[in-house]
Amino acid sequence: MDKLDRPPFAITKTRTRFLGLTLDECVQAFFGGNAFVAVVVLGLITFFIFREGSGFFNQNWANLELYRKAGLEFVDHLKQQEEDHTALIRYLFDLRVRTVKHYTDEEGMSLANANKRLMAFDDYSYDFGDAVEPLRGAVMDLGDWVSMVKTRALVTEDRLEEQRQLLAVGKVDEAAAIKIEEIDFGAELQPLLAFRPAYAEINAEFAAGLLRVLALPDPDLPTPELQARLAKFKVLVGGYIEEFPRIEKALLDWDYTKPVPFAKAVSSFAVGGRWLTASFWQDWYGVVPLFTGSLMVSMVALAIAVPLGVGAAIYVNQLAGEREQRFIKPCIEFISAIPSVVLGFFGIAVLGQAIRVLSQWEALSWVPGFPVAERLNALTAGVLLALIAVPTIFTLAEDALQNVPRAFKEASFALGATRLQTILRIIMPAALSGIISAVLLGFGRVIGETMVVLLCAGNRIAIPDFTTGFAAFTQPVHTMTGIIAQEMGEVVQGGIHYRSLFVVGMLLFVIALVINYLAQKIVQRYRISIG
Amino acid sequence: MDSPASSSSTAPGVAPAVPQSSRTETTPTLIDIQNVDFAYGDTKALHDITLQIPEKRVTAFIGPSGCGKSTLLRCLNRMNDLIDGAKVERGSIKIRDIDIYRPDVDVIELRKRVGMVFQKSNPFPKSIYENITYGLRLQGESNKARLDEVVERSLRGAALWDEVKDRLHTSGLGLSGGQQQRLCIARAIAVAPEIILMDEPCSALDPIATAKVEELIHELKEKFTIVIVTHNMQQAARCSDGTAFFYLGKLIEYAETQTIFMNPGNPQTEAYVSGRFG
Amino acid sequence: MSDQSQHLFSSRPSARRRAESGVAWIFRLATYIILLAGVVVFGDIVIKGSRTVFQSEFPFINVAFLTEAPKSLYVFEHEGEHYEMADDDFRDFRESVEAQALAAGEPAPELKAKTYVYSAGGIFPNIVGTILLVVGSMTIALVLGVASAIYLNEYAKQGAWVRFIRLAILNLAGVPSIVFGLFGFGMFVIFFGWNVSLMAGWFTLAFMVLPVVITASEESLKAVPMGFREGSLALGATKWQTIRKAVLPYATPGILTSSILGIARVAGETAPIMFTAAYVVRDKLPWQVEQAMDFFFQGVMALPYHIYVVSSKIPQNEYSERVQYGTAFVFLAIVALIATSSIILRNRLRARYRW
Repeated sequence: MDKLDRPPFAITKTRTRFLGLTLDECVQAFFGGNAFVAVVVLGLITFFIFREGSGFFNQNWANLELYRKAGLEFVDHLKQQEEDHTALIRYLFDLRVRTVKHYTDEEGMSLANANKRLMAFDDYSYDFGDAVEPLRGAVMDLGDWVSMVKTRALVTEDRLEEQRQLLAVGKVDEAAAIKIEEIDFGAELQPLLAFRPAYAEINAEFAAGLLRVLALPDPDLPTPELQARLAKFKVLVGGYIEEFPRIEKALLDWDYTKPVPFAKAVSSFAVGGRWLTASFWQDWYGVVPLFTGSLMVSMVALAIAVPLGVGAAIYVNQLAGEREQRFIKPCIEFISAIPSVVLGFFGIAVLGQAIRVLSQWEALSWVPGFPVAERLNALTAGVLLALIAVPTIFTLAEDALQNVPRAFKEASFALGATRLQTILRIIMPAALSGIISAVLLGFGRVIGETMVVLLCAGNRIAIPDFTTGFAAFTQPVHTMTGIIAQEMGEVVQGGIHYRSLFVVGMLLFVIALVINYLAQKIVQRYRISIG
Repeated sequence: MDSPASSSSTAPGVAPAVPQSSRTETTPTLIDIQNVDFAYGDTKALHDITLQIPEKRVTAFIGPSGCGKSTLLRCLNRMNDLIDGAKVERGSIKIRDIDIYRPDVDVIELRKRVGMVFQKSNPFPKSIYENITYGLRLQGESNKARLDEVVERSLRGAALWDEVKDRLHTSGLGLSGGQQQRLCIARAIAVAPEIILMDEPCSALDPIATAKVEELIHELKEKFTIVIVTHNMQQAARCSDGTAFFYLGKLIEYAETQTIFMNPGNPQTEAYVSGRFG
Repeated sequence: MSDQSQHLFSSRPSARRRAESGVAWIFRLATYIILLAGVVVFGDIVIKGSRTVFQSEFPFINVAFLTEAPKSLYVFEHEGEHYEMADDDFRDFRESVEAQALAAGEPAPELKAKTYVYSAGGIFPNIVGTILLVVGSMTIALVLGVASAIYLNEYAKQGAWVRFIRLAILNLAGVPSIVFGLFGFGMFVIFFGWNVSLMAGWFTLAFMVLPVVITASEESLKAVPMGFREGSLALGATKWQTIRKAVLPYATPGILTSSILGIARVAGETAPIMFTAAYVVRDKLPWQVEQAMDFFFQGVMALPYHIYVVSSKIPQNEYSERVQYGTAFVFLAIVALIATSSIILRNRLRARYRW
C-alpha cells in the first residue's frame, strides 16, 4: 500500500568525523573560533590602552617629585615673577603700537616722526624693563644650577635602571661596573636655600626700581583713551608689586623634602592647564587645553550641524516630495563619504583663507573675533567638522522621524491641525529622544575626528583667552585627537610622554563609550514610550 | 508495517484515556509518548504527557492558546532543540520503538523522517521547483530526471500540480497564501517522511484555501501519519481520526474524534468543544 | 463673503498660513545649505584636481601622474627661459648644460633652482599602497567579522553573555579611529616589533572596522525570517546546510553593502595608519623586496597620508597646488566610487530580495 520508496525507519547514523568532530561541529568550531578571536582582540584593545595609560600616573608622580626635589619648583616661583614682568612690558609695547597707529593713521604723521614723538615713552619703557635686571640674573644662575641637578638625577635613574636590567639577566659584573652617583638633594639645594635672604634684598631693590619708574612724569600720549590705558598700566604694576611678599613667603615655606601627594599626579593631568613636552626645563601634562580645544571645536561644529541636520531631516521626512527625497538622501550620504583628510585639505587650501577674507568685511565687523588673526583656528575646524557631523545627525534624525507612527500624524490632521502644527507639536516630541541621540552620536563623531582638527585647528597648545568672549572661538587651539596624531611619532616607548598620549586616548575612549551608551539608552527608552 | 506491534493495552499506567475503538486496535502505534515533562528554562510547559499515536491516521491536538499542544508537536521532530534552555525533563518519546531523545539519534535523520509544516507558510524565496527539491538536494540527489519526478509527484500529492505546472521556475513567493501552504506541504512530502507534523497550517488562510488543505490532509493519510495542531475545532472534527485535548500543559482527554466531540468524558473537554471557553 | 466663489471651506490667506510656508522654507533652506556645502567641497577639488589628472590632448588623462612616483620639482631660469622639471630630468639637463659649457670651454653656468618637494612626478606608489592596505585589512576584517556574526547570531546561546558582547561591540564601533591607531602603534609597531609595516596597518585597520562589520552582518542575518531556518531544518538539513542555503544567500546583500561601506571607511582613514603603516616617502615599490616575508613588514606610501603630508608639511604655492589637488581628486574619486557602488548595490539588491 505504500507507494513511496521509503527506506526503513533508521534515525541513527554515524557521520564522518574529523578529530572527533562531525563536519557540522567543525564548521561551528570555525565560526566560534573566529568569534572568540574577534572578542578577544576587541577586549585586548581596551586592555592594552588602559594598561599603557595607567602607568602614566606613577611616572607623572615621579616627574613631579623630581620637580620639587631638584628645586625646579623653587625657581619657577621666581620665573613666574619674571614672566609677569615681561607681560607688563608687552602691555607697554602694545600701547606703543596703538599710539603709532594713531599718529600715522589719524594725524597723518610719517613713521619716523611718530617714532620721534614717542621717544619719551620709549625711555619710560626701557626704564621699566631694566628694573628687572637683578632678578633676571638670579633666575638665570639658579635655573642653570637646578637644571644640572635634575639632569644628574635623571642620569642616575637611567643608570639604576640599566643596572636592574643587567642584574635581571644575570650579568652581575657588568652591573657592578656601572658607576652610580648618589645625589644628596639637601646638599645640592644649598645654593637655593642660601639665596633666600639675598632674594629679599633683590626684591626690595626691584620694587624700588619699579616705583621709581612709576614716579616719573607720564609720557605724553595723544588721546584720552590711550592715557586711560597708561593709567591702567600703573594700577597693574601696583598690583604686581603687592604680590612680592607672597612670593617671598612661598619661597620661605618651600621644603624640598615634603612629599608630593599622588593625587597631584592625577590632578596635574586632569585639571592641569599646561601641556608642555620635550622641554629642557620641566614637562607638564595637563589635558585641559586639549580638552577645551576639542570641546570648542565640537561646539562650533554642533552649533552649525544641529540646526542644519535636524532641519534637513524634518524637511526631507515631512515636507519634501518623493522625488526631492530620492535626490537629497543619497546626496547627503555622499557627503558622509568624503574622507576627513580631504576635508582638512580643503580647510587649509580654501576655507581658512575664505574665512579670513570674510572676516575682514566691514559689514561683518560686529562678529566677535572678526577679523580673525589666524587663518587656521577653532572656527575653521568647527565649520568643517559640521560637514562631518551633518550626515550622521541627518540620517539618524530622519530615522527617528520615520519611526513615529503614521497614526499620530493622521490623528493630528484629522483634528484640523496644520502641517507645521503637526510637526512641531506631535512629530517632534515623539521623535525627540531619537533626535537627541542623533545629536549625541554626531558629537561623538566630531570629538573623535582627527585629521580635520590636526590640519585646521591651528595646533596651539593653550587655553584660549575666554575674557574676549566669543572671540575665543577664532583663536587657534589644539585637540586631544590632534595631539596624539602629532606627537605619537616622536615618543619613546614606555616613557612618560608615550604613556601620557595613551591616557589621552583612554579619555577619548571613555568619552566615546559614554556617548554611545547614552545614545542607545535614550533610543531604547523612546522605543518603549512609543511601542 | 513491520514494526513490532505495541498495542495500547500494553502501555502501563496510562492515566488519560487512550482511544478505545476497533480501529485503534487494528492500526499499530507509531509514536509512543510516555510520561513526558517538558520545560522552557524554568517554565514548565508539559506535565506528564502519555499518548500513543497510531500509524496512517490523522491525530489532532486541540486546546486553548498556550496549552502546550504546539510544544508537544515540536518535540516530535526535536525542533525544540533550537530554543535555548528548552528540554525534555522526564519521560520518553519513541517512534517505531526508537527513543528519539537517545544520544545516538541523529536529529537530521530524524527530521528527514518526521516532516513539518508551519503555521505561517514559509517557502524559501526561490522558485517552486527549487523549494521542492531543496530537501533532496541536501541529501545529495542531483539526478535531474529523478528530481523532476519527485517534483511532479510531490506537487500532485499536495494537489498543487495543476495550478503551478506551467510556472515551476517562478518564485514560490508569487503564489497565494493557500498555495504557499500547499507548496510547503509538497516540500515536506518530497523527502518521503513517515510522519508529517502540521502546526496550525490553516490559521492564516481563508475558508476556501482551508478547505483545500483539509481535503489534502484527508488524501495524505493514505501514505503518511499526520499530527495536526489546530485552533479550529471544526477542522479537528472534520479531518482527524483521533483528537487529544490539552489544557495548561496537561493532556485532559484523548479519544476518537467522534467521542471527543459527541460524548466527551471530561467536563473541561465538553466546555471547550462546545465553545464555552478557550 | 461678498464673493460668490467663497464658501465655508475655501482657503483664505492668513498670517498663520504665511508663517507655515515661511517655516517650511527655513527647513528647505537648511537642506540646501548642506547640499551646497557638499557641492562646494566636491566642486573645488574636482575642478582644480582635474587640471592635474586630465589634459587637453590625447590620451586626455595625465598618465604620468597616475604611474610615476612623487618627485621634487625644480624651477629655474636658464638663458632667459623658464623651466619646471622633475629631479631626474633636472639632473640630466644640468649635465647636458655642463657638458655643453665644457665643450665650449666656458665655466659651467650655475643653475639656481628652487625646489618643491613632492610637486613633480605622480602618486602611483600611493595608489598601490592604499589598495594593498584596503585589500589586506578588509580580508582580515571580513573573515573575522562575518564569521563572528554568524556565530553570535546562529550558534551562540542567546544569554546575558552574548548580549553583553553585542553591546560591547556596538559601543566599540564609536571609538575614534585615532584610538585604534594608538593601539596599533603600541601593540603591533612597538610591542610586537613589526615596525611601521603593512602587517601593522592591516591589523590596525581591520580591528577598527571589525565592530562595524560584525554589527552590520548580524543585522543582515537577523533580517532573514526565522521561518527559513525552521523550514530548512524541518526538511532534515544540518545546521550548516541551513545557514549556507537558507540564510546566507538572503543575508549576503546586507553584508556586502556594509562591507563596501567598510572599505570606503578603511580607504578614507588616515589617523590609524599614520604611525602604523604609512611612510612619507619610499623609493621602492611594495613588490620590490628581496624576501617574500619582507613584503609584509614594509611600510608603504598611502593616498590619505600623502594628502596630509602635502597639505601640511609643504608650503602652499602654485607648484604644490598641482599635486595637492591632484592627489585629493584621485583619492576622492576612489572613495566616492566605492561609496556610490555600495549605494547602488544596496538599492538593487533591496529590490530583488524581498520576502
